[in-house]
Amino acid sequence: MTKIKDSNEPWKGGMAKNITFIVTKDCQLACKYCYLVGKNVKERMPWEVAKTFIDYVLDHETDPDFAYESVVWDFIGGEPFLEIELIDKICDYIKTELFRRNHHWFNSYRFSFSTNGINYHEKAVQDFIKKNREHLSIGITIDGTEKKHDLNRVYKITEKGSYKDVVKNIPLWLEQFPFGGTKVTISSADIPYITESVLHLYGLGIHEVNINVVFEDVWQEGDDLKFEEQLMQLADAIIDGGYYQDYSCSFFSELIGKPMDPERDNQNWCGAGKMLSVDAAGNLYPCTRFAQYSLRDKDAWIIGNIKDGIDKNKIRSFLTLDRVTQSPQKCLECEVASGCAWCQGENYDAAQTHTVFQRATAICLMHKARVRANNYYWNKLYRKLELEDLREQYEANKREVKPEIC
Amino acid sequence: MLQYLVIILDDTSVAYCHADNPLEERNLMPLETLKKGILFGMKQNLMIQYVFPDYALPEEYASIIESIDNVKIYPIGKKPDTGLNDESEADVEVAMDIPENVDAQNLVLRLSFSEMLKQKDEIVKLFAQGKRINLCITDVEQFADEQIEAYKQVLNEWNTALLDLYKQGQSPQFNLLTDRMMLEKMHNCEAGVSNITLAPNGKFYLCPAFYYDERMQVFNQMNHHQPSSDNSVGDLEKGLDIPNPQLLKLNYAPLCRKCDAYQCRRCLWLNRKLTWDLNTPSHQQCVMAHIERNASRDLLNDIRKVGEFMPEINIKEIDYLDPFDVRKEF
Repeated sequence: MTKIKDSNEPWKGGMAKNITFIVTKDCQLACKYCYLVGKNVKERMPWEVAKTFIDYVLDHETDPDFAYESVVWDFIGGEPFLEIELIDKICDYIKTELFRRNHHWFNSYRFSFSTNGINYHEKAVQDFIKKNREHLSIGITIDGTEKKHDLNRVYKITEKGSYKDVVKNIPLWLEQFPFGGTKVTISSADIPYITESVLHLYGLGIHEVNINVVFEDVWQEGDDLKFEEQLMQLADAIIDGGYYQDYSCSFFSELIGKPMDPERDNQNWCGAGKMLSVDAAGNLYPCTRFAQYSLRDKDAWIIGNIKDGIDKNKIRSFLTLDRVTQSPQKCLECEVASGCAWCQGENYDAAQTHTVFQRATAICLMHKARVRANNYYWNKLYRKLELEDLREQYEANKREVKPEIC
Repeated sequence: MLQYLVIILDDTSVAYCHADNPLEERNLMPLETLKKGILFGMKQNLMIQYVFPDYALPEEYASIIESIDNVKIYPIGKKPDTGLNDESEADVEVAMDIPENVDAQNLVLRLSFSEMLKQKDEIVKLFAQGKRINLCITDVEQFADEQIEAYKQVLNEWNTALLDLYKQGQSPQFNLLTDRMMLEKMHNCEAGVSNITLAPNGKFYLCPAFYYDERMQVFNQMNHHQPSSDNSVGDLEKGLDIPNPQLLKLNYAPLCRKCDAYQCRRCLWLNRKLTWDLNTPSHQQCVMAHIERNASRDLLNDIRKVGEFMPEINIKEIDYLDPFDVRKEF
C-alpha cells in the first residue's frame, strides 16, 4: 500500500486541557527571531507558586474551564530544562495529588516540553526522562543545517552558534522519542536555507519537521518569491527522493489553499483562552504569548492569579473569537484562505487598539507563496503516484485530516 | 452612521450614564472650541447634545449654545438659562437621588444597585409622572450572581406598578422594563457609531467616560505605549480618527449580534473596563440585561391579558441569563 506520511496526531487529538508553567524567563540562547522580547534571569518560578497553582487547578476539577478528559502540563521558558529540579518536583507533586484526589486526570496526563536541547544529555534531565518516560512529549528545536541553525540560534553573550551543542543530543533524543518532531522557524534571512535544512533534518533521522514562518512583520520585498522557489525545490527533493513515504514536512498539506465559508469555517485558529499559563509571579494568562516577556508594544493580558483565580470576564473575548470577526475583508475574500494561520498574541501585540479581534496579516504573501508551492507539490506527487498506479490506493487509505489548530 | 454630537461643556459637567465623573475642578470649554464643535456638528449633520455642569455658564455662552437646535443634559434642578424657553422634548435631567420634581420630559436616575433596592418604592412613584425614566446603575461591575434574585424581584414589583398604569390607560416609559417591549432590534448606546463626544480640550472621545479615564490617567488601553497615548479618537483640527471602528459595530460583537436583550446599553466603556475588549460584554452586563429582558417579557404578557398590545413583538422564553454560557449554540 502506498503511504504518504502525515504529521503525527497530537495527543488526545489536541483536545486535552493545556496548562503551561513558565518556569523561567531565562535561556542560554538569544535566538534572533525569538518573540520573547523580555527574557531575563530573575523571573524563575518559586516552588510555592507552582504548588499553589497546581492546587488551584486541581481544586477546580468540576469547573467547566477544567472539565477536559485529559491534560497536557506544558513547561516553557526561556529554556525549561534550566529548571529541571523544579520541574521534577512539580511533576512529582502533580502525580501524587492526582492519585491522592482520585482525580480524573490520573493516567490521562502528559508532560510536554519544547527545549533547545543544549542540556538534554545532563543527568538531571535524563533522570527525569527515565522517571516519567511514559507520560512525556519532548521536542528539541534544531533549525536545519549548521549554517541555518547558527544564523539565528546563538548563545546570548558570545553569539556563538549552538548547532554543535544541540546536534550531539539528537541521537539520544531520537532513541528515547523515535517519533519526535522538531520545530523549525523561518524568518526572512532563513529562506535560502529551507530545502537543505529540511533534508538535513531528515538525514539526522527526524521524521517530522514542523516548520512555520514567523508571524511578525519581518518580511522583505521579494521574500515570498524566494520562499516559493525554496519550497518548490524542497517539493522536488521530497518527491524525487521518495521521502514523502516516511518523512513529513508541515509546509505541505492537502488542506491549505482553499476558499473558506464564512459560516461553516468560522472557528478560531488558536486555543488561547482555553489554555492556561502561569508565570513566576503567579499571574495567569490565556496563553504564554500574553505574558509581558512576549509582548513588544502592549501590556500583559493577565486573567487572574493563583490566589484569586481566573477573572472569567478576562477570557470572554478569547472564547468568543471567530475567524470572520477578527479578519479583514481581504482575508474573508481570499481564494486561498485555508491554512493561513495567525497567532492571537501577535494579533494583540500588533493591533491598533487593545483587542484580540484584529488579525495581523504580515504573513499574507508568504502564505500565498506556500499555497503555490503546495499546489505544485501535490500535483507532482499525484502524477507520480498515478504513473506508478498508486494514486487510488492512496486516496482509499488516506487518513481523514482535521484542520490544524495552534 | 453618526447622528449625535455630545459636547461636554465643562470638566464638571454632569455624568449621565454608568461612569461617574471624577473631575472636580472646573474647566470650561473655550468659546472658540465650542464654536468649532458646533460647526463640526453642522457640517456632519449631527444633533448636538450639550452636557452642562451645575453652575451657570458665563453669559457669552448662551447665544453660542443656542445658535443651533440642541438637547440639554443637566443636573436636576439646574436648568440652564440660555435665554430661550422653548425647551426640547428631549432635554434630560440627571439625578443621583429620587427627585421631588422633574422639569424635563426625561430623567436619568443614577443609582448604585443597593440604593436602587433601597429606593424601589420611591422609584415607583416616578412612573406615574408621565416622564421617561432612565434608571442607570452605577456599579454594574460589582453585580454578583447572588444578587440575581433580588434584581428579578424588584423588577417584578415594578412590573406590577407599571401594569396598573397600563390598565389605567397610561403609557409609562421606564427604560429597564418598557423599552424591550417596543423594540424589534438592538437599540444600544452606540458610542462611536451613532454618537461621538467632544470634550473641553477639543478632542473627540467615544463617550464621556473615556475622557474621564484619560484625565484621571486610568489604565489606558486604547493606544498602548504609543507616544501620543490617550483615549481620544480625533480632534477638531484633524477630524475623527477612530481606530478599529468596525469593532464598535454590532456585527463585530460575537456575543451581542445574535442577542435579543435589545434594551441592553451594551456599554463599550464597561466592556473595556471588565473584559478589556470593546466588543465583548461582561458577565454582569449580560446577566443584568437578560433579567430585564425576561421581566419585560413578563410585563408584555401581563399587559396582553388585559388587551391587545404590540402584537408584532415576540419575546421568546429562554433558559439562560448570559449568552456566553450558550455561545456554542448561539
